[in-house]
Amino acid sequence: MSLDKSKFESMQRDIQNELEKLKLEEETLFQDLGNMLNQRLFLDSKVKGLAKLLPTLKVVKHEAQDLVSTINDISESSEKISGKIRSLDAARSHVNECQQRVSDLIDLEICSQGVQTAILDSDYEKGAAHVHRFLSIDQSLLHRTATDMENLSGMQKSVRTLQDAASQLQAIVEHKFNEAVNCEDLVSIERFFKIFPLLGMHEEGIKALCTYLRTKVAATAEKNLKSAITTPLSDKRHSVIYADTLTLLFEGLARVVDTHQPLIETYYGPGRLLCAINILQKECDIQMKRVLTEWTRTRQINKKIQIITDLSRMSSSSSFSKLEKIDPKDLDILIGEITLMHFRTELYFRFIQRKVVSDLEVGVQDPDEKTKVLKSLENLIKNSDLTHSKHELLLHYLKLEQYFMEESVAKAVSMDSVEPSQQTSSMVDDTFFIVKKCIRRSISTGSLDGICAIINNACRVLENDFCDVLRARLRQGYPSGYLDLTQAYNVLQTSIQQGRLQASDTEQTRTAFLVALNNADSSTEYVDALCDSVLKEIEQALPAMNNNERGKLESCLSGLSSVTTNLKEIIEYGIQQLRVSAIKPRINPWVDNFTSINHQLTEDELSAYEAGESFVQTLIMNLETLLSLFKDVLTTANYDAFIAVLTTEVTQRLEKVIMKSSFNRLGGLVLDKEVRSLAGYITATTSWSVRDKFARLTQIATVLNLEQVAEFYDYWGDHDGALTWRLTPSEVRTIMALRSDFKVEEIKRLKL
Amino acid sequence: MDDYKFLFKVVLVGNAGVGKTCLVRRFTQGLFPPGQGATIGVDFMIKTVDVDNEKVKLQIWDTAGQERFRSITQSYYRSAHALILVYDISCQPTFDCLPDWLREIEEYASSKVLRVLVGNKIDREDREIPTHVGEEFAERHNMYFLETSAKEAENVEKLFMQIAEDLMKVSRFLCDN
Repeated sequence: MSLDKSKFESMQRDIQNELEKLKLEEETLFQDLGNMLNQRLFLDSKVKGLAKLLPTLKVVKHEAQDLVSTINDISESSEKISGKIRSLDAARSHVNECQQRVSDLIDLEICSQGVQTAILDSDYEKGAAHVHRFLSIDQSLLHRTATDMENLSGMQKSVRTLQDAASQLQAIVEHKFNEAVNCEDLVSIERFFKIFPLLGMHEEGIKALCTYLRTKVAATAEKNLKSAITTPLSDKRHSVIYADTLTLLFEGLARVVDTHQPLIETYYGPGRLLCAINILQKECDIQMKRVLTEWTRTRQINKKIQIITDLSRMSSSSSFSKLEKIDPKDLDILIGEITLMHFRTELYFRFIQRKVVSDLEVGVQDPDEKTKVLKSLENLIKNSDLTHSKHELLLHYLKLEQYFMEESVAKAVSMDSVEPSQQTSSMVDDTFFIVKKCIRRSISTGSLDGICAIINNACRVLENDFCDVLRARLRQGYPSGYLDLTQAYNVLQTSIQQGRLQASDTEQTRTAFLVALNNADSSTEYVDALCDSVLKEIEQALPAMNNNERGKLESCLSGLSSVTTNLKEIIEYGIQQLRVSAIKPRINPWVDNFTSINHQLTEDELSAYEAGESFVQTLIMNLETLLSLFKDVLTTANYDAFIAVLTTEVTQRLEKVIMKSSFNRLGGLVLDKEVRSLAGYITATTSWSVRDKFARLTQIATVLNLEQVAEFYDYWGDHDGALTWRLTPSEVRTIMALRSDFKVEEIKRLKL
Repeated sequence: MDDYKFLFKVVLVGNAGVGKTCLVRRFTQGLFPPGQGATIGVDFMIKTVDVDNEKVKLQIWDTAGQERFRSITQSYYRSAHALILVYDISCQPTFDCLPDWLREIEEYASSKVLRVLVGNKIDREDREIPTHVGEEFAERHNMYFLETSAKEAENVEKLFMQIAEDLMKVSRFLCDN
């Protein structure tokens, strides 16, 4: 029953739900219906509007069809018109051609009549102008006209007359030009030069003019060379007279190019300069060679080069040389002359290049043609004897400069001297002066390859000849000699008494050692400065370097930094020498004194110890004496390095002797104080921080200065007060064990 | 940027016309420029290669073979890590000059320099120096030996890669000690 009831109830619920749903649906439908009814008015008006539009659309369609047919008509008629215009155009060009032919014919007639008269009157300009007009007439057109015409013979006659006249004029002009050249009649030379291009003889004209100019250049060069040879020794230009002669040759040629280029450009058109320069270059080559031959002979170049080559071979085969060496000083001026000659040649090439390129810019538009001409310019320069001679000059220069550098540096080294109160000796200043001079001179050749070669050589000389000397001096070692000043003082006293006050051999060796060490240090600065200044100067001298050339230069310059590496090694070697012979033997006994002192103090003993001269006071006093010996004689950097090594030695030794001693609370306290004052003293002597070198020692003192074992936790672990320990846990335990008052078990119990 | 771990200088020497420039061009640019003019002074090329996943920068100095540039070219021997001595297998005189070149190398180069003998132009039909003759010469003078063709790109890559690998080995060995 209850089951039925519940069933009934759920059914009732369902029906209720269904009813609700239907009610909702009904409501929505009502709403939709309302909306539609609302829109009805609007839709009705739309339909009415459309019905009104219908007739208008029909009209539009008609009109559009009309428009299409009109456009078709127009296009047809315009087609017809353009056809007519085309035929009109053709007709007009025919007329034009006809007029051209007629005017050609008239000109032909006039020219053929005028040309003979002009020739007879010696009015070559006028004659050439006629021929020029004739040549400018389209010859094939002329032929066609001839076949079209009835009066054939008349025209042919005119053509023949003009052709004859042309060849006649060509012969005459050539002849007259030569005549003018022979008489040195400048006005006529110019006159006939201008006629050549009118007769279509551009190349002949340029060739004729340049051949003439060659003779002029040759004559001047001949005269200049003669006067160079006869220049007296006393003349102040005597030492560079051949460079001067070469300069005159180049300047002369440049002037010739400069004065004639406008003439050629005006009458022959732009783009023809290379042709002229090609011819002139031949004379330049010849004259340059003559100057060089004379120079080689007078300056005895081959002999000098031969001696230098022999010398280098001798030294490399290590047999003693009997050859007279050439004093590098004697080569100085000659080397200067060569660089000047080389540079002038370089400048001349740059001049030609500039001229031809700018002529090309105006005259030749076609890029392919341009590349072709540029290529032939490049070949002209590359294959010229002048280039060849230039390379030879550079070769001579490099050989002589290399010898000059080597010998001068060798001289600087052998004449090395130390001024008292100077930290370095003369060889450093002298060597770098020479090297810089040579590199600068190489820059003045204007050749990057030359500069690079000299920089390479400089690296070799510095690394081998210069560094080797420094290294050898340091290898002699630093004699330990007297152990303290008192001893030294006593010896000095006896020396004075015996009347010999000169420094002893030991003293000299010491000075030599320290000076060599200082030399190495100051050389590193010289190398850096050299690199900077050289790079700047090269950038000024060769502003147009491309990336590749710059890379080349930088690579060579980086060779100089390997010299610095070398020098640093030398310094390190020297400092180690000092460590072994000057620092260790003195410091060890001073520090070892520590073991002879009682470190298990009572209160009374402590005050007694502090009242007297403590260990650290004595040590500092001794160190002070030692450092004072080196402070002024070493460069700052070397002195710093010296103190660094000294500090390492002192701290390491002190650590050792501490480990051999045994302390009580007060002993630890004293040690901590002493370590602090030692660190304080050394910090004050130098410019860098010694904290790091003292780290272990300070920590050892801290451990020994503890009140009790457990206090160690204040410094150990992860908390804020903890130190960064340089000591291992086992080291800490060992050090704690040095405290006689610390119990072994307690130390063992420490959790580290 | 310039990101490399090793930098080595390689210098090519040998008579004019044996193909030094072509070997360098082939390796650095993958080209064989026909009608190459004589080199003037010294040319300079750079190529970075990978050896064992390390960047190795090779600085290649291509020297002029002609006598008149000798002063310039000699100055590069000293700082060279490797010297490639090239001859033309189809031209006996270029092989005959090798002892002269070796003398120059002895005089100017570091004693530690890696020396490689290369017989170039094996693409040519008119061989004059048999392979074993070159090999024997190289062995006698304690040099590596390789025959190449810049034209056909034969052994060119191998030549430079071998040098890079060897130089790297040497420099690693020096670093470790």
